[in-house]
Amino acid sequence: MGLGERAVSRNPDDVLVAYGLGSCLGISMVDPVTRVAALLHAVLPGAANGAPHNDSNTNKYVDSGIENLLDAVLKEGANKNRLIVRVIGGANMIIAPGMTNSFDIGTRNMDAARRTFQRLNLKITAEEVGGHTGRTVHVYVAESRVTVRVIGEKERDI
Amino acid sequence: MNDVPFDQKLLQMLNTIANEGISNAARGFSGMVGRKIEVTNPSLKLVPLLTIPEIVGSPEDDAVGIYLRFEGDMIGQIMMIMPYDKAMELVDLLMGLPQGATQHVGSMERSALGELGNLCGTFFLNSLAKLTSADLRPTPPAVMVDMVGAILDIIVATAGGISEQVLLMQANFMDGPRSVEANFWVIPDMNALQNLLKKNA
Repeated sequence: MGLGERAVSRNPDDVLVAYGLGSCLGISMVDPVTRVAALLHAVLPGAANGAPHNDSNTNKYVDSGIENLLDAVLKEGANKNRLIVRVIGGANMIIAPGMTNSFDIGTRNMDAARRTFQRLNLKITAEEVGGHTGRTVHVYVAESRVTVRVIGEKERDI
Repeated sequence: MNDVPFDQKLLQMLNTIANEGISNAARGFSGMVGRKIEVTNPSLKLVPLLTIPEIVGSPEDDAVGIYLRFEGDMIGQIMMIMPYDKAMELVDLLMGLPQGATQHVGSMERSALGELGNLCGTFFLNSLAKLTSADLRPTPPAVMVDMVGAILDIIVATAGGISEQVLLMQANFMDGPRSVEANFWVIPDMNALQNLLKKNA
């Protein structure tokens, strides 16, 4: 899945993948009973500094992307009370002198995700966020399983 | 705000800057390594921001990124990114080692690559500054080793709200028969572009 893309599936053969998330967020929702699984690859926290979304791709933003994702899984038969929400990514990729934190989109993405889930009354079950490394997320629809991999390491469950 | 006026005239002008900047950078390199390093086939084009990961390879591939920003009368960012094995070839080439000598990117290699990014970046900026009489200051380069997608997130995230298209500069670094291709992305901000347009109207 590319930047600003979203996928929802209940096909057990499907594996949803977002490769190499840096400051971007991979947000997964699964309902282990109906086996509905979904993944969003969000890029930016939301409407920048109060400016309106001037862009048709609302999945690019954490706030509107999460709302879209929730709508989509509910439509596919997921139950909101059973949803397992995982948030992955949001790294600060730049570590260098002279680079200020105002460029830390990763942290701002995470803050936006936490705020949005709170507003939607959804609990984040697991997080693997922050730090300075990129991550790849796999969502195995059949097992409602989610894994994370970082460079030079093996895939592991979260 | 998304319709940056990337017209032909502006592109042509940036091409001139890029060409001049890159050949200056080549001279800088040769001075640094004490051998004649040539930079050939510089080219500049506009690419959609969201297609960048595909140009470099799969977004999960290991890569090295060299990143710097510039401030002053204009602000913007420059990213140089290459596959991990290409980065090692480039280190060999820069340090006068036989091809294949470098087997990993450690702190020594990072610093060589940072210097390379620094040179390319500052020479490009010097050309830009000269042409526009702007005062430009580059930040020190940050070198990162990670997945392609994660490195590119830096420019996607910072440019994503501003511009849907970015400038891609490509060039080959050559030492005799050996050649390594490098890609740079230059992401000027809106004001930078408008200044350029105004000055050259």
